[in-house]
Amino acid sequence: MRMFASLIALAIASPAAAETIAVTHAEAWTMEGDQPVRDATILIEGGKIVSVTAAGDVPAGARVIDARGKPVTPGFVNAATQIGLVEVAGSPDTSDTSSADERNPGYDVSRALNGNSTLVSLARADGITRALIYPAPSRHAPFNGEAAFARLRDGVDILDTANVGVYTVIGGGAWDRLGSRAVQWTALRKALEEARRANAAPPVAEDGKGKKDRRGGPQGGPPGGGRGAGEDPIRGVIAGDIPLAIQTQRESDIRQAAALANDFGIHVIVVGGTEAWRAADVLAAAKVAVILDPQVNLPFNFDQLGARQDNAALLAKAGVRVAVGQAGGPIHANYNAGMGLREGAGIAVANGLPYVEALRAVTVNPLAIWGRGGGTLVVGADADLVVWDGDPLEPSTNAVSVIVEGRETGIRSRQDQLAERYKDAR
Amino acid sequence: MTIKRIAMLAMVATAMLSAGPVGAQRSAPMPWQQDPFPSRYKAPPPDDMLLKGATILDGVGGRIDGGDVLIRGGKIVAVGKSLANPGVREVDAAGRWVTPGVIDVHSHDGTFVLPLTAIDREASDVSEVSTPNAADTWIETAVNAQDMGFDRALSNGVTTIQILPGSTPIFAGRSVIVKPVRAPTVWEMKAVGGVQGFKMACGENPKSWGAEKDNEGPTSRQGVVSYMRQQFIDAQRYKRQVEQARAGAGAMPPRDLKLEAIAGILSGDVRVNLHCYRAGDIAGALSIAKEFGFRIGAIHHATEAYKIPGLLREAGTCAAVWADWWGFKLEAQDAVRAEAPMLEQAGVCVMMHSDSPADGQRLNIAAAKAAAAGRRIGIDIPPERMIKWTTSNPAKLLGMDKRVGTLAPGYQADVVLWSGNPFSIYSRADLVLIDGAIAWDRSAPRNGPVSDFELGRGGARP
Repeated sequence: MRMFASLIALAIASPAAAETIAVTHAEAWTMEGDQPVRDATILIEGGKIVSVTAAGDVPAGARVIDARGKPVTPGFVNAATQIGLVEVAGSPDTSDTSSADERNPGYDVSRALNGNSTLVSLARADGITRALIYPAPSRHAPFNGEAAFARLRDGVDILDTANVGVYTVIGGGAWDRLGSRAVQWTALRKALEEARRANAAPPVAEDGKGKKDRRGGPQGGPPGGGRGAGEDPIRGVIAGDIPLAIQTQRESDIRQAAALANDFGIHVIVVGGTEAWRAADVLAAAKVAVILDPQVNLPFNFDQLGARQDNAALLAKAGVRVAVGQAGGPIHANYNAGMGLREGAGIAVANGLPYVEALRAVTVNPLAIWGRGGGTLVVGADADLVVWDGDPLEPSTNAVSVIVEGRETGIRSRQDQLAERYKDAR
Repeated sequence: MTIKRIAMLAMVATAMLSAGPVGAQRSAPMPWQQDPFPSRYKAPPPDDMLLKGATILDGVGGRIDGGDVLIRGGKIVAVGKSLANPGVREVDAAGRWVTPGVIDVHSHDGTFVLPLTAIDREASDVSEVSTPNAADTWIETAVNAQDMGFDRALSNGVTTIQILPGSTPIFAGRSVIVKPVRAPTVWEMKAVGGVQGFKMACGENPKSWGAEKDNEGPTSRQGVVSYMRQQFIDAQRYKRQVEQARAGAGAMPPRDLKLEAIAGILSGDVRVNLHCYRAGDIAGALSIAKEFGFRIGAIHHATEAYKIPGLLREAGTCAAVWADWWGFKLEAQDAVRAEAPMLEQAGVCVMMHSDSPADGQRLNIAAAKAAAAGRRIGIDIPPERMIKWTTSNPAKLLGMDKRVGTLAPGYQADVVLWSGNPFSIYSRADLVLIDGAIAWDRSAPRNGPVSDFELGRGGARP
């Protein structure tokens, strides 16, 4: 009987995987230009976007999702969150956000990702299809560990790409480990210098893996082997393969981050960047992108005295690439990784960021900043998209269909189920 | 001194006179009716104006499209269509929306003061934690008026804030209601005319504190509930002794500030704001209120109130809720974003609250999120009812619903002119009036309030 049931489940699941989906009557924000394609038909086949055509035909056999003239966007991408690592924040034994290992602080978040988390399903229901998952401060400041991209498909396996960047923190979070930020910057520069020397040294013949070796990863020997957090991956930073993310807020530190990018010729991302608007030109010149929370207009600490909600608008105007992450502060950044992101992008628009730039800040830009492509609805792109019942940057809007890798996913969160159970309670 | 200024002073004097005789006729107030920290708030000179052609949400369920609001002498004089202008400044509000000022009943502004430092982590003013019974404390004695959180709230349309003590003690102390105006001390901000508020807490926060080494207090939910009942029993006895002594039938007991405050709860002079998440915790607290014959003003956070709306409705207890704080602690697992519309549908007095200087700037957006979640389960609440959650319902909790939270003749002119629909993320507070005086004007931000803390700090302003 049980086998029969699973066969039925399989029979239902399989066609969905292979099916052709046509999203019709869409206001399609392809992110190619600055305007949407009106009354678009978006065809999806084999997990890819096949065509986006105004008033396009629907092929026979395609499953139709009628967008009723409402916006359809690429799936939103949270540029910095910790969903999949956290369940009940107040109870550390349900949290995998940081390493406590004194010997081997190397911490790759991808091994802890949990697609069954209630935080993940809510983020998906709110229109998030990918998210950059970052590690919290470790005992080896300023290194936190290695970030990963999650793709919020149904099921437990939400890993998209591991080791997409080295994540560090300067200022708050590193202070209690190293003291003065002068020491923090020195530690970071020393690690970069060592990685540069190691990369420059003649390659040691080791399984003939060539460039792969320079990026670190499993190199044999006992687990840990005494390497420091980020020690091997940081060679990838020097090689230009992955970015170095520096979570920092104060203007003086943001200028240090830009100087670091220039001095080492590496790809640096500033995360947080509360006072980045004060160094916008320097960041633009050093091609340093900023991942920020547009809601912030109060300083949580003394590093954030210059908090302004037009940070994103001022940076974008100066030519700095911006993306939204850690949106809404300690609770919302993880527990509402979807709604907080959309609300943040909306606040950025209310404070002067052009609308289409705000859409880019939650689609194309987070992927580009972390060295990935995509986040569009152009032909050939991965079919990650969301059908909305209104403007997606309005918190009053609901996602009505979320498609990940060409499959329509479940968007009935645990909250929806609880609300349905009690909606007639009197 | 200008004529306008003299007229204003005369008006204030009249208002004080009219309040006088009522107080004089009453017998001397009981100890729990006394306020040792009286307000020194004075309304600024009024900016009379006629807002023309706006979409008006009156705060109590009414909506007028293309309506006018006439504001004179600090009060709302008329609300309607095509009002005649008696010769005041006219503001073209076409395409814009007008609502009562937003009221946040759960703030820690002035005590959870940003930026936080190691000093705050060492000893915070949010809660007095030396004892589970801090009923004798008045949070206003800790409020730092230079908190820039007040300015951010104001520029986002907030005109009344209740500052509560934190939820670590079971009996956490008295609250204070303020207007977010710039002043050297909290007493120039303190609103008058409300019911004295009080904070209590149940569940994880007080029990976790008690369970920590060296701390005093119960370590379990059952311990917290029993502790509450014992304090109410002690306060009943104290209250009876004071009342009998006043009637000449016995000796006055030695003055006890804790019992005095709790006696005020029993007499109805002091209104309880109870921090509570789980349905069972809420139901237990409502039973205690019934046992000791008082009404809890509101359950705050009230994460699972949607499971037991009938209990709140029958008790006449409101729910002050978030839209989407959930999951961060065990007792917040079952939060639903649709709670406000569900409670509204069930006839419970519900309101949005913040607990945060960031979220407190966007209570209408919280309402918008809640309403959107309601639509997912087939509950559709229109804007004219949603606005109750941030205006008239919180005014009711504060005992100020005859003064603020509604746009109607005679009400204090705490009014916001929004650039658009107040439930849209793109809308901004163009004008914020407190007592009929412009407190925030977005067209002249340089004239806006800047706290002493922010002044002259290198990083703060351009």
